[in-house]
Amino acid sequence: MSNTASGKTLQPDRVPEPARARRRGSHPLARFLVRRLLTAVLLAWGITLVTFVLTNMVPGDPVAANLGQRALGDPAIVAQWRAEHGLDKPLWEQYALHLRGLLQGDFGTSQQSHRPVSQDLAEFVPATLELAGAAILVSLVLGVGFGVVAALRRDRLSDHLLRVLSLIGISVPTFWLALVAFYVFFYRLQITPGSGRVDPALGGAPPVTGLQTIDALLAGRWDIFASAAGHLVTPALVLALYTIGLLTRFTRSAVLEVLGQDYVRAARAKGLPGRVILFRYVLRSALVPIITVAGLAFGSLLSGTVLVEAIFAWPGIGQYAYKSATTLDLPAVMGVGLVVGVVYLVINLIVDVLYGVIDPRVRLQ
Amino acid sequence: MATRSQTAAVLLAGALALAACGSGGAQAPAAQSGAKTLVIDTSFDLKTADPGRTYEPTGLIVGKATYETLLTFDGGDVTKPVPALAESYELSEDGKVVTLKLKQGATFADGSPITADDVVFSLTRVRDMKGTPSFLLDGVEVAKADDSTITLTSKQANPALPYILPNPALGIINSKLAKQNGATTDPQDKAEQYLNSTSAGSGPYLIESFNVSSQVVLKANPKYYGTKPAYDKVVIRNVEAATQKLNVQRGDSQVALNLSGDQVAGMPANLQVDKTSSANVIFLFANQNQEISKTTPNAKFVEAVRKGVDYAGLLELAGEGATQAPGVIPSQILGALGADQAAKRDLEGAKAALAASGLSNPTVKLEYPSELTVNGLSFQPLAERIQANLKEVGITVDLNPAPVTTALDNYRNGKEEMGLWYWGPDYPDPSDYLVFLPGKTVGERAGWKAGSDKTVEESGEKAAVAVGDDLRKQAYADMQTKLNASGPFIPLIQPSQNIVTAASVTGLEYHPVWTVDVADLGVK
Repeated sequence: MSNTASGKTLQPDRVPEPARARRRGSHPLARFLVRRLLTAVLLAWGITLVTFVLTNMVPGDPVAANLGQRALGDPAIVAQWRAEHGLDKPLWEQYALHLRGLLQGDFGTSQQSHRPVSQDLAEFVPATLELAGAAILVSLVLGVGFGVVAALRRDRLSDHLLRVLSLIGISVPTFWLALVAFYVFFYRLQITPGSGRVDPALGGAPPVTGLQTIDALLAGRWDIFASAAGHLVTPALVLALYTIGLLTRFTRSAVLEVLGQDYVRAARAKGLPGRVILFRYVLRSALVPIITVAGLAFGSLLSGTVLVEAIFAWPGIGQYAYKSATTLDLPAVMGVGLVVGVVYLVINLIVDVLYGVIDPRVRLQ
Repeated sequence: MATRSQTAAVLLAGALALAACGSGGAQAPAAQSGAKTLVIDTSFDLKTADPGRTYEPTGLIVGKATYETLLTFDGGDVTKPVPALAESYELSEDGKVVTLKLKQGATFADGSPITADDVVFSLTRVRDMKGTPSFLLDGVEVAKADDSTITLTSKQANPALPYILPNPALGIINSKLAKQNGATTDPQDKAEQYLNSTSAGSGPYLIESFNVSSQVVLKANPKYYGTKPAYDKVVIRNVEAATQKLNVQRGDSQVALNLSGDQVAGMPANLQVDKTSSANVIFLFANQNQEISKTTPNAKFVEAVRKGVDYAGLLELAGEGATQAPGVIPSQILGALGADQAAKRDLEGAKAALAASGLSNPTVKLEYPSELTVNGLSFQPLAERIQANLKEVGITVDLNPAPVTTALDNYRNGKEEMGLWYWGPDYPDPSDYLVFLPGKTVGERAGWKAGSDKTVEESGEKAAVAVGDDLRKQAYADMQTKLNASGPFIPLIQPSQNIVTAASVTGLEYHPVWTVDVADLGVK
């Protein structure tokens, strides 16, 4: 990636390739997209299979976890319950039914909430997305920003400081940090609000997107928006710290590598302004490794939310997953597994597509 | 070029930090905002808001607030049932028939009057739907004698019935409304989803929103015919114990229900701490089934364990407010043994018993739920302490923790060699503890089959049919003494129930069945 990217003036031979591809009938980016989408569908199917098999391998009887002691003693009721939940059929048939349901948008019925799992997910997923989304935004801005600063000020004090900070960010366990942050900012300094997504006395905004901040804005409720944004700050920052650390380190080394390239030196020699060199040459080339890391980091961010949600009593998918697992609520467990898996897929897809956009060679591979 | 981007990054970081402080600092704690909202933090154990299926602690709090029962208890006193929807009750001399007169003028939240038909439907539904609490009314016939009289008839003497009726699971539902939404009196009942979103009861509160894993919001029932509750809105949130403590200290919540003895030590003076020994009894058992173990069915082995456990040490672990359990029946309930009858550590006696057992250096497997906490007390340190205690006796204990769903399976199927579990009262009556007898639910779990201990079984049968407080007290004490002498159970401790409330909250009293009656709480 390093010696080819972007410098048009340096590498005029790059130009004909897309032209050649266009002649064959479709844009290479379009073909690339179709290929990636097909792979994603296959992978999604794989996820359903894996979550189904893993869920059904769990020791413990869902009937015992869900029926009362007395009902358990009555074989007729147990049989009825098993039949109602399709547990009397062979596993492959259960899987076929599960898959058919999924294709129709039916995730099954949660055994704990007795509601469609899709309805539960629709309630919990937005809370997690709001949290993880805020965290990833903060991470991208701060992580890339810090990395660039550290690279440009290589071996100076600010570079050393940022490197130490990023190391701390990567090393500190998220749940511990969550506890400490909650204690310090909420309890000691009293500058952040406590548990949950919004002040209980206010209640939530009428759900439209499920994202509390957006819904509050849509409803024109500034008080709810302020409360929701305030509740978001600490958990999002806690969650972001690891990703910030990671991105700072990767951005720094990617930028340093590009800075050492001949074409950057050439550009400098030509007297191009620093801003142009930084944004047009350096950052653009450094972006591919940064995106890779950001994609991967989003994964760890999702798993991090389970603990952060527990500590901040954030009503997201983490709490739902925990509750489902401990009550052997198999449809809910599979639903959560599928959603998380698909989110990973989508992130990977986005990362792949971004590669294609940034680096034309990728589309042609 | 460095300076520009650097400035941008720094500015951005600063803006974020400002945003963090700004929006957070503007937040006023709920208690001070003027709206009478009560926030209760608890670790959720919740499945449903359908009273007929409710059995979990959090569900009982919700059930108590949204439904009314025929009888109830006054405050935390569970020794005497008092009228609620029924203005009076009478137990026949043979203990088989309870006759209840309905109060006049009581109405459901939709304004319709509560009738005898509603009562018959509600109770029959609980019994025949075969939900978790249906055993409460096993073998009880519910009938309407006239428009305001209900009779509950049991085949055998059932003096516990008046103590069972206050259970929120037996809350009276608006039968017309419930039937329209799928309620039936058999296992086909489909009303749960409806009852999870709307409460069809007559309690002081209504369900505003209900979520089994995050929070339940209650609002005052505008048509409640009794004393209006002090809070317009009650938010019950699912919060980890460590966070509960900080929330209540900061004023973000007004009640914290699940703090351990350690966590309430050194609470600031502006908070009220209510410490009472809970009605949960933690016990140890040694499986009596020869197929499960060659070691634990040995009576001398059980004696060695009973004498080898350091009860005082366990109490220390449990923290202030906890008490040793002299028998399986907790101290609050009729028939409980006196503290003087509690087992004491006798290391020499334990060693002698082990020697007499004929076992040399036995190794046993102790199973327990790893992540379960009872009143903030975790099973792990208890198990470790017991392991150390028994090591001194000469018994090697292999600790075998498992997640509660997995552990519960083994426990219920009677497959644990030794187990560490607890029993909370389903209703505050000693008859709830007959399950510890041979052949009964918990007895079977300990591999104690029916017919294996005639003395204990006879004393249990006698206790079950005794009528009159004095007779029952005696009979149940006798049953426990015999259970302690030859049974496979070793009652350990009743951990402390610590409830922390803000100074503004009045009227809190711990209740062994529904933990706290939300409608009883006032504002100072």
